[in-house]
Amino acid sequence: MSTEPAAKHDSATTATAAHHDAAHAAGGHGATAEASDKFTFNKLLDKLGDHHELDIFFGTYEILPVVLLDQNNSLHMYPNLHAMEESGEYTMHHLAAPHHIVSTTIKDASGAPVGPKLDLSVTNFVAYQWIAMTIVTVIFAVVRGRYKKNPISAPRGIQNVIESVVLYVHDQIVRPNVGTDKRAMRLMPFMLSLFFFILTLNLISLLPGAHAATGALPVTMALATCTLVVVNYIAFKDAGVGSWFKHLLGGAPVYISPIMVPIELVGIITKPFALMIRLFANMTAGHIVLLSLVGLIFFFAQEMGEVVGWGVAPISVLFSVFIYLLELLVAFLQAYIFTMLSAVFVGLALGDHAAHDHHHDHAASH
Amino acid sequence: MEAVAFAWLSAGIGLGITVFGVGTGIGRLAAAALEASSRQPENAGDIRTTMIIGAALIEGVALLAGVVCILLAVKQ
Repeated sequence: MSTEPAAKHDSATTATAAHHDAAHAAGGHGATAEASDKFTFNKLLDKLGDHHELDIFFGTYEILPVVLLDQNNSLHMYPNLHAMEESGEYTMHHLAAPHHIVSTTIKDASGAPVGPKLDLSVTNFVAYQWIAMTIVTVIFAVVRGRYKKNPISAPRGIQNVIESVVLYVHDQIVRPNVGTDKRAMRLMPFMLSLFFFILTLNLISLLPGAHAATGALPVTMALATCTLVVVNYIAFKDAGVGSWFKHLLGGAPVYISPIMVPIELVGIITKPFALMIRLFANMTAGHIVLLSLVGLIFFFAQEMGEVVGWGVAPISVLFSVFIYLLELLVAFLQAYIFTMLSAVFVGLALGDHAAHDHHHDHAASH
Repeated sequence: MEAVAFAWLSAGIGLGITVFGVGTGIGRLAAAALEASSRQPENAGDIRTTMIIGAALIEGVALLAGVVCILLAVKQ
């Protein structure tokens, strides 16, 4: 929002709460404030960021709880953002730090407002992840129930979809990369969780008004950390601790170890790091392109008059529909790639061991 | 020119160079994969899988550059 209305109700918290409401309720007010602002990339990125309201289906709902740990280590809990403003302890409309939650009472040495020590709120992205978890759990519970009831009859309905995807993940993604059937079955729960969780989050992000939780670095970082742990756990367990440490040499003689060990250690971290950046950047890039294409309409309308804006609109909408369909492909592709690369990394961490076990398997079956 | 102008300029030029490199890279990758799978259609599935992994790795580098360009573009 522009600074002008905020300046009017500086620190009076009840007034700021009212202003907050007005800004949300009256679309017209928001539009004029936006038009007077210069259209910047930051604004676009802000919309894609994490915040304390749930955005879905063209609406913004203040239904998410706000949980703050203040400087004195005491916990403040509010049912939603509005209640937080009304309590008068914290505000998002302080003049010195707009759009940040700051305390109305505690100030630091220079008189600037202080934020909470830790923000444990259920934010937008957390809510999306909970929704995704619920969807995946419910679908799999239903499918599991059907298999339990009729294990030998032909699958029907959603069973078909899930069965073919699960088989695809096993036959095409996990099994060829990890060496043995036993290991593949042990990894399947993790890989399937990764695949369906990322896929569901990506698809949720394509609903109108929603954002991609996978387009946030903390989320992808957590997922990549899971991969890091699983990859090294499997390498430790199946290839042995000695083999894991030997891997650090990269096959070079021992006297090159001062060079090789740091490089290999960095290599262990880089792989999940690349996973993290890839998923984040792919999901964010698609949404930025979509927002930019739609933003072009308003840009042209503002710079060259309303008629040009109307003229640009059909082209812009056509392109956004194209990008949207591309995003649909990317949603599936990124879930596939994250799972695939996790499996490949497991195979790489095992090194010769994966292939070795593979031969053993064959020998045993003969 | 001031520093912010340079940042914006470098973001644009940098992204252009990145896209050029990655476009060439993935293009060559797809060309090679297409050639290989037309020579041996029975291996088309394996080739496609390997191609997608390669494409993802190339794209990863591009996206890293893209993130750097975004950071330059939002410089105040």
